[in-house]
Amino acid sequence: MDNLYIICVDDQQEVLNALEQDLSLFDEKMNVEVCDSAGEALELMDEIDQQGDFVALIISDQVMPEMTGTTFLAAVRKDSRFHDTRKMLLTGQATHQDTIQAINTGGIVQYVEKPWQKDILLANVKTLLSHFVMTKGLDYQEFIDLLDQEVIYQWLRNRT
Amino acid sequence: MKKVKIIICIAIPLLVLTLPLEAIPLDGITIIEQRVIAIFLLAALCWVLEPIPIYATSLVIIFLELLLLSNKGLIFLRSDDALFGTTIPYKDIMHTFASPIIILFLGGFFLAMAATKYRLDQNLARVLLSPFGTTPRYVLLGIMLITAVFSMFMSNTATTAMMLSILTPVLALFKGDEKGKIAFVMAIPVAANIGGIGTPIGTPPNAVAFKYLTGTDAISFGEWMMFAVPYVCVLLLIGWIVLLFIFPIKADRIKLDIKGSFLRNTKAYIVYGTFVLTIVLWLTDFLHGMNSYIVAMLPVAIFSLTGIINKNDLRNISWDVLWLVSGGIALGLALDNSGLASRIITSIPFESFSPVLIAFAASFIAALMANFMSHTATANLLLPLIAVVGSTVPSLKEIGGTQMVVLVTTFACSMGMALPISTPPNALAFGTGFFGTGDMAKPGVLIAVIGLLLSYLLVFILNVTGFFA
Repeated sequence: MDNLYIICVDDQQEVLNALEQDLSLFDEKMNVEVCDSAGEALELMDEIDQQGDFVALIISDQVMPEMTGTTFLAAVRKDSRFHDTRKMLLTGQATHQDTIQAINTGGIVQYVEKPWQKDILLANVKTLLSHFVMTKGLDYQEFIDLLDQEVIYQWLRNRT
Repeated sequence: MKKVKIIICIAIPLLVLTLPLEAIPLDGITIIEQRVIAIFLLAALCWVLEPIPIYATSLVIIFLELLLLSNKGLIFLRSDDALFGTTIPYKDIMHTFASPIIILFLGGFFLAMAATKYRLDQNLARVLLSPFGTTPRYVLLGIMLITAVFSMFMSNTATTAMMLSILTPVLALFKGDEKGKIAFVMAIPVAANIGGIGTPIGTPPNAVAFKYLTGTDAISFGEWMMFAVPYVCVLLLIGWIVLLFIFPIKADRIKLDIKGSFLRNTKAYIVYGTFVLTIVLWLTDFLHGMNSYIVAMLPVAIFSLTGIINKNDLRNISWDVLWLVSGGIALGLALDNSGLASRIITSIPFESFSPVLIAFAASFIAALMANFMSHTATANLLLPLIAVVGSTVPSLKEIGGTQMVVLVTTFACSMGMALPISTPPNALAFGTGFFGTGDMAKPGVLIAVIGLLLSYLLVFILNVTGFFA
């Protein structure tokens, strides 16, 4: 089975704990990893890539001491190894400018506000993971209970 | 678990390969035939246990045949000894990639892809569904008919994905304990599986069957549809009744909202025209003399030259499905050309078996296997053997010979629909999360049993009316 990683980045341990808790259902077939800084996340991603595994999704906070979420996501976007990695900004404190930057240079397609509602977060995570799995051509049947059915239908319709 | 599977898949064929010839209970067996047994076992184990993707098994088969059986294989593995047997020309093995069957399927893929790209499928679904109104049980029938018709020309999986994407938003509005919801979701994989039987390109097992219906046993595209479409219609009606019976619908109204309108631009018209023309040519080979394989190149050529299918679309072609079939053809080729198939068949006293029993057993085994593994892989493994049984057992001739036994086995391959793992359409329906495995098994088994019985009736009628003669 292919090894997929979901990486959560936030400088607050409580937030990471809550995320780990809420995303625990993905832990069965994938790996949920938490990092308390963008730098640590980049190192971890490098390691995952070295092992030949996949970084499927990054959920990042915006306001962090060393590197902000948007800078981090922009760096990931430029890295060809993580071209298909899906990115989500999870924040309560992003300014209007941050949001613009996140979309224009970070290439995020999902923006979730803190405090988040668990079901909305899970639905968004499933959608992003589905796109990743289908883009990469991985075996969707293995993960089908963790994916968004609608997204799968759209992808499968266009195959012969 | 996966490691154990891999070890089993490698160890057993290796064991067979290293046995001395005398240890194999087949008189006069050659080394080439022994290798074919090992490759066949490897294929069977890999397709049943699935330690690797099923198309990968096909490619492994072709590679091993080139290496171990071909006239250009490893030089140390060849010999002129009488016990060695005769090698198979490497070109014949490689030809399986471009076998006419594969081209027929490719033509079907082009049609399906263009139809989806120009939204012909969705628009047809909208138009065809409107006469069924809003009464849930008739809407259910409409959905089943449309799914079946589409899956005759599109892959069962793509059809299921399209129909489920239309259906699930509506079903989400149903009340929580409404059993009727299950009827609707189950109707789609059931109808997609049944509908696939309708044409030679409806589902890969049919294509594999086409491969073994050659020479005097050949069946044309039109002839296939002539008996398969009525069969599909009857089985669909029965399936509809079974689903309504098991999952009564309480809601008194259902409204499917399919958006869109037919595209009106030059390319879209070319798609509509080519679609109709191809099907008409497929059905009228007796008038123009072009067989279905040649007609299949028509959509390929037209859609390519008009840019309707471009380079990017080519990447969406399911080469894995085509190569899965190629592997099956290569396996059949090896069994046949090495002489192993006839040696096995002659060493088992099939003559003493009742011909009816042979047909029953073949189709029952096919249906059983198809529930647990890929339909195509089932056909790949069973049909080459069944075809030889058909042609070597004289008593079968009276009840339809090779054609009869190949047809019931092929139809049975499409009867695997009792489990989420049986087919991709089943997995998709199960993925909606509206029901448990038991809800899938009940209608799945019942419809499959009825489908098998109905296929016996069909070949009986075909035999009585002299179709097989």
